[in-house]
Amino acid sequence: MNSRHLPHYLMVLPFVALFAAFFLYPIVSGFYYSFHDWNAVTEPHFVGLANYERIVGSRDFSRAMWNLVTYVVITVPLGIAVAFGLALLVDSFSGFWSNLFRSVFFLPVVLPAFLAATIWRWMYAPNFGLVNMVLGWFGYPSVNFLNDTDTMLYSLIAVDIWVSAGFNMVILLAGLKNIPVDLYEAARLDGASRLQQVRHVTIPMLAPVLFFVMTYGLISALQVFDVPWLLTGSSFTNYGGRQNALLFPVMDMMGRAFGSVRFGQASAYGFILTALIIVVTAGMFGLRAMRRKA
Amino acid sequence: MTIALEATESRRRRWPTITAWDLCRWALAISVTIVVVFPIWWMINVVFTEPGTPVSINPRLYPTSFAAGWDKVAMILRETGYLHAYYMSMAYALLTIAGVLLLGSMAAFEFALFEFPGKRPLFGLIMLSLMVPTAVTIIPTYLLTADLGWINTMQGLVAPGLASAFGLFLLVEFMKGLPKEMIEAARLDGARHFQIYWHVVLPLTRNAMVTLAILTFMKTWGNFIWPLIVLSNAEKYTVSQVVGLFNAPFSHQTVDVVMTANLLAAIPPLLFFLIFQRKIVEGIAMSGSKG
Amino acid sequence: MPVEQMESLMRSSAVVKSASVLLAIAASPAFADEPVTLEYWVYSDFAQGDALALQQTFISEFKEKHPNVTINISGRGDDDLTAGQIAGAASGTLPDVFMNGLSVGAQLVEVGALSNLYPLWMEMPQSYRDQFDEDALKSCMPKPEELYCLPYTGFGEIMFRNLTVLKEAGIDTAKPPKDWNEWYAQMQAVHEAGKYAVPDQTQVFNSVASTYAIVGGIDGWGIDFDAMKTKIDPATYQKVLQLFVDMAPLNSGTSRNDQSTKDLFITNQLAFHVVGPWVNPTYEQAAKESGLKYDFVLVPGMKEDQHGGIKSYEIVGVAPGEHQKIAFEFAAYITEKNQMARWAKLLSRYNANAEAMAEPDVAELPLIEKSVQAVKYAVDVMPPYFAGAYPNCYRSIVTDNAAMVADGDATPEEGAQELVEELNDCLAN
Repeated sequence: MNSRHLPHYLMVLPFVALFAAFFLYPIVSGFYYSFHDWNAVTEPHFVGLANYERIVGSRDFSRAMWNLVTYVVITVPLGIAVAFGLALLVDSFSGFWSNLFRSVFFLPVVLPAFLAATIWRWMYAPNFGLVNMVLGWFGYPSVNFLNDTDTMLYSLIAVDIWVSAGFNMVILLAGLKNIPVDLYEAARLDGASRLQQVRHVTIPMLAPVLFFVMTYGLISALQVFDVPWLLTGSSFTNYGGRQNALLFPVMDMMGRAFGSVRFGQASAYGFILTALIIVVTAGMFGLRAMRRKA
Repeated sequence: MTIALEATESRRRRWPTITAWDLCRWALAISVTIVVVFPIWWMINVVFTEPGTPVSINPRLYPTSFAAGWDKVAMILRETGYLHAYYMSMAYALLTIAGVLLLGSMAAFEFALFEFPGKRPLFGLIMLSLMVPTAVTIIPTYLLTADLGWINTMQGLVAPGLASAFGLFLLVEFMKGLPKEMIEAARLDGARHFQIYWHVVLPLTRNAMVTLAILTFMKTWGNFIWPLIVLSNAEKYTVSQVVGLFNAPFSHQTVDVVMTANLLAAIPPLLFFLIFQRKIVEGIAMSGSKG
Repeated sequence: MPVEQMESLMRSSAVVKSASVLLAIAASPAFADEPVTLEYWVYSDFAQGDALALQQTFISEFKEKHPNVTINISGRGDDDLTAGQIAGAASGTLPDVFMNGLSVGAQLVEVGALSNLYPLWMEMPQSYRDQFDEDALKSCMPKPEELYCLPYTGFGEIMFRNLTVLKEAGIDTAKPPKDWNEWYAQMQAVHEAGKYAVPDQTQVFNSVASTYAIVGGIDGWGIDFDAMKTKIDPATYQKVLQLFVDMAPLNSGTSRNDQSTKDLFITNQLAFHVVGPWVNPTYEQAAKESGLKYDFVLVPGMKEDQHGGIKSYEIVGVAPGEHQKIAFEFAAYITEKNQMARWAKLLSRYNANAEAMAEPDVAELPLIEKSVQAVKYAVDVMPPYFAGAYPNCYRSIVTDNAAMVADGDATPEEGAQELVEELNDCLAN
């Protein structure tokens, strides 16, 4: 290091210092605790890999992972498809209407997550909840959205898309606007229909934006916590809903930490999940690299 | 071949397809609007209804009693220190925004525009942290905050959230797109390092900063778990904590009162959105297309 | 001489002062005059409205005797109480006096949030110690010389009945159902009238426990912490699971703790709500505002002379540390007969101070009268207290198993077998 570089380090220092204190240090100590039996008060007691083994061997873990995989596989593509559809829809209007619909569709994003979940908990209520009331008008029987193990996951996905579609839509919309009009012109001259234009012009041109939306969506979906927690009325001692149909890893981790006071296990859980996220993200980048070469 | 074939067909049917499409998109746009807006509208109706009216008689499709709603609002403001919670949440959000913007932009300026030893591994490390669920770090962070004696203080609430890896990522991506020549030109004009950051790069980064400010506002306003464990003194509660008291399963409150508490929490972000609507949407759009 | 007088006066006052300081040191580790601030955490519903006002009255009364003490009261939801206390214990920032449920007691001891209060307790006058209900006190005392908490408000579950719904179903409301069979017949009548009979009792650990109590055997519920095995007997439990199967088509699909369950009851959609007395304020208000007609009776049991339901106590805990003595004094003050009687009258809630409960104007309150009866029959939620913490898996296995059988994914017989195996597995880990 020489003095030429000093100004650079000085500018980075405040960020890096806080990052080290409130991120690196906690992660490193979390890693240390993940090999210990620790209730946050008494001395940590070294247990080797026991925490990891215990988690992976537990039935809650398999349940949570299974739920997570199903949830991610459905919610990420479906969410993006909906957002993409909305973006196309907004894009098909112009001027005032385009702006109005864009803003309206974005509205749920502004609400705090705890609020969205609380509203939907009531919307879904059996019998007098609004959704069931509407179903009733059309002669359908009341569905117990948040308590029937067959529907719970889909109820969550619906809320999730309601909450996040606007966010992705806005990003995709900007991507759409960046596509040069001449490309559509050219396609039209080649005689491409509206659908074909989407397929052959829009999607390829939008690939980088789609990649961002997908990666970001995956990382957040893998960490899903507050919406299912609130929808199932979970507490640290009782979470996951009926037959654990809405149990997700972060929920299980929080329960082990604050419900069972097993902070070592909770830390280990966090690292298993982190590894999973890193693998999935690396996979995404790998796929992109392969597509580019191909 | 196929394209050409279909094209002649579609040309023949141009008029009818277009009107059908028109009908379709309007119908679709209006249905989506209903799906999006109705839950929020419904929440307002629940608040502005006489308590205890069965849903079978009044399905809460429109507000029926302004006075009843106002009574609930007044009761909550009177009895729960909601106004102070507003103040706490605002202070939390604004201080976090200021810190995230300042620290993030300073670091992004270096990471995006200059080369120095250790830059790549350091940046990679910070980016890796994006993948660590917050729940992993919350306990050690809490213990550290407690060791510093920052429990129940504003600095304890704010400081751990300032080094935002996401914010850094956003700003770096944006600054990478700035023309390097401008910086060179400024340097040739004799500008010092910090001056380049402050007078040249910052003004050019305004749009990204606004986006980051907005995203940070939404995140801090909705943040639930961190205030919950750092602020144990009821006089320091944030809005999300006060709302949490109402949402607790054993509270005596009925739906309409619970919804009133929730509605009050929604008002600041909704107002914020109505005022800065355009900026917010454009800012977020930019953040994605830069990524 | 005025000056000399002044000096001697000053000297003597200094002597008095230092003497009093010495006395204070002897009396308590915290200096009597030194300002002390106590953090006091209560349930969120105790920090709202009239309940908060009365708590604040207690605080100001206590301050009259201890002018150097400031007490900050703050309310939290059940879960936040536990999370905050665990986090506080970890960082040495525990609240000084706090409430929670008996069932989390063992965990709070494990993390050091609760310590043995027995020496401080024994310093209190005999007349104070004798005020408490013996059983309630025992639940805070796992061993003869260990006391971890002061029992506070308590509950024995009762059954709230919506009389409008029952009348619509053609049921004579004059007499409560005498046993399960009669109750079940009423549930079916309610169902036929197009209303919900009961909430879904499989959703919450406490409501499963409560249903267990209908079948009976107070001793068969809980964990044997020496052997680390569940005490549940599969043969008995099979009968319990059969009840869930019977109730499955009749229930509202909401848990007994859901706010939507209360809403169904208030709007005359739900006939029976088996729960603790804390829902009464909501129902009382609805009776005034929208004409809800309801009453409360003992939960029927399998046999006529027996009743279902669970019981438990909320506790007042005192954190270890330099303020422990004064904090304990405050805890003792709020649990003393006069305060407990006022508290019981305001909330119509039963509590652990037997002398307060015996006061005529308390004892005659209908809700308290019923609670006192209910406690005699009810099952403890998570016994034995302070012997060990119930692992999370234990609770989720119990509720999942009940839900599985109610959903028809297993027969009661299979379910009961599986439950015991899974519970023992969970305990073995």
